Amino acid sequence: MPKNFERMNYYEMLDIGPAAAAFEIRHAYNAARQIYASGSLVSYSFFSGEEREKILSLIETAYQTLINEGTRKQYNEELVRRGELEVKDDASAAKKTMGIFDIKRGPCTMVTLPGRDVLKDKIERSETIGTILQQEDIYGADLKKIRTELGVELEHIAQMTKIRVDYLKHIEEDAIGFLPAPVFLKGFLKSYLKCLCLEPVEEISGRYMGTVARSGGG
Amino acid sequence: MAFVWPIGGGKGGSGKSFLTSSLGRLSAKAGKKTLIIDLDLGAANLHTLVGVPYPEKGFSDFLQKRIPLLEDTVIKTPFENLFLISGARDNFDIANLPYAQKMKTLRAIAKLDYDRILLDLGAGTSFNTLDFFLISQNGIFITTPEPTSIENVYRLIRSIYFRLIRYCFTAPEFKSLGEEIENRFGEGAANRPDTIMNAVALLHPDRYEKLQDELASFRFKLVINQMRRYDNASLGPQIGRMVEKHLGLHLEFAGNVAYDDHVHDAICQQASFVDRYPYTKTALDLKELSRQIVEHAGRQLSLRDI
Ligand SMILES: Nc1ncnc2c1ncn2[C@@H]1O[C@H](COP(=O)(O)OP(=O)(O)OP(=O)(O)O)[C@@H](O)[C@H]1O
Ligand SMILES: [Mg+2]
Repeated sequence: MPKNFERMNYYEMLDIGPAAAAFEIRHAYNAARQIYASGSLVSYSFFSGEEREKILSLIETAYQTLINEGTRKQYNEELVRRGELEVKDDASAAKKTMGIFDIKRGPCTMVTLPGRDVLKDKIERSETIGTILQQEDIYGADLKKIRTELGVELEHIAQMTKIRVDYLKHIEEDAIGFLPAPVFLKGFLKSYLKCLCLEPVEEISGRYMGTVARSGGG
Repeated sequence: MAFVWPIGGGKGGSGKSFLTSSLGRLSAKAGKKTLIIDLDLGAANLHTLVGVPYPEKGFSDFLQKRIPLLEDTVIKTPFENLFLISGARDNFDIANLPYAQKMKTLRAIAKLDYDRILLDLGAGTSFNTLDFFLISQNGIFITTPEPTSIENVYRLIRSIYFRLIRYCFTAPEFKSLGEEIENRFGEGAANRPDTIMNAVALLHPDRYEKLQDELASFRFKLVINQMRRYDNASLGPQIGRMVEKHLGLHLEFAGNVAYDDHVHDAICQQASFVDRYPYTKTALDLKELSRQIVEHAGRQLSLRDI
């Protein structure tokens, strides 16, 4: 099925299995770079310049994530949460990913969110946020307004919650066709709300889910 | 019912006619009663490639109702088992074939009594060319390893993809879908097959499933012709994989056909290349390809209520 490239997981993007060893990842990455490069005959005229850039940057992210043992582990956990990966014999999988090559063990950079107290205080005092939280319908766009008001980057939330940025974007853009199944969506939303210290989590996420259902999603 | 293999490629000169005549010849040689049809009206030359310099009748006689039955326009070639419907002496473009005539022709082709039927389609992406290409689920795309040719074959593949989506809706339905899409996703959005697919998934989930089944039922093939020694031999498989990944269409790489100056020589001598130069790499490549066509016994012919 023509799944959007952006919606594929990193393994799908690189055309490898979840148990791929480091050298396979490297190989797949080089092959993909060759196929999608702007001078490539294979993809000549197939993509617009913009599409091509997007694909190449996703491939870069996919590679960087999978080639680093730590980030790969985190990512696998995310896939498991999303139901895209099954947990199998962990020991053998881990062994395989060690590979014969030296794995780059770059530190996983963490960004910091404003402290919980700071966030809570801002929520208390912001009129915009207060109004939104009283609405019966809560849209993704409303969430985005709140987040912007709080001065939190989407990437921060992504790092904290391990939810992919593009998924978060789909939520904020109300891209209904791209939202995951309701069970996942609800989970994502709760993590999102918790991250921003928006309370009560259960109640707000319930209103959001209702809004989505009424707009034809979910 | 015959197995029909339409052969299309965006670009002129990529080798559609050469491939049609060669595969036709090899299929006939393998004992299959084979018919090749020249649908490149206006630039017909398939007859010349199979040793029939002056075809005494052809496709135009059927279109202009001088010959009522399509099967009566078939002529013999000097080769046993190989038959031809010539497109010569026709001076109009297949793009201008009126709808009713096209339907009549498609049905007539589907009814012809041959083991294998190969269609030589002209360059271009007119609706009629696309519909002839989609008469079977086994259309063969041909391109050379040059960017110009690749560009054209991609345009053809996208047009085919678009046409397949279009088939799943009636004209008024498709029109309102288009409007819906433009309203929601902005102007021009309805011209992009992937946007349409996403929109169908969103707005008509029931149709989406049907559409996916429809797309998945096609098994297109890809031939890279005129491969030179230093060309990337894995271009074909890579293209197939990429099209599958990004469009969700099955595009199976069928094989490379080497470039050989003897092709030119054979054509100039008006001789069948695979008979005159049977041990060249090019002839062996063609033989390998023809095996897929001769031995094929899968599901065929998709003539829906187009
Ligand atoms: N494998 C090959 N090796 C060398 N030359 C080739 C090969 N295939 C095709 N050619 C050359 O390319 C020319 C064009 O081929 P052909 O007439 O089959 O193209 P076509 O796709 O049918 O073009 P058109 O769209 O104009 O009908 C041939 O005359 C031949 O000289
Ligand atoms: Mg031709």
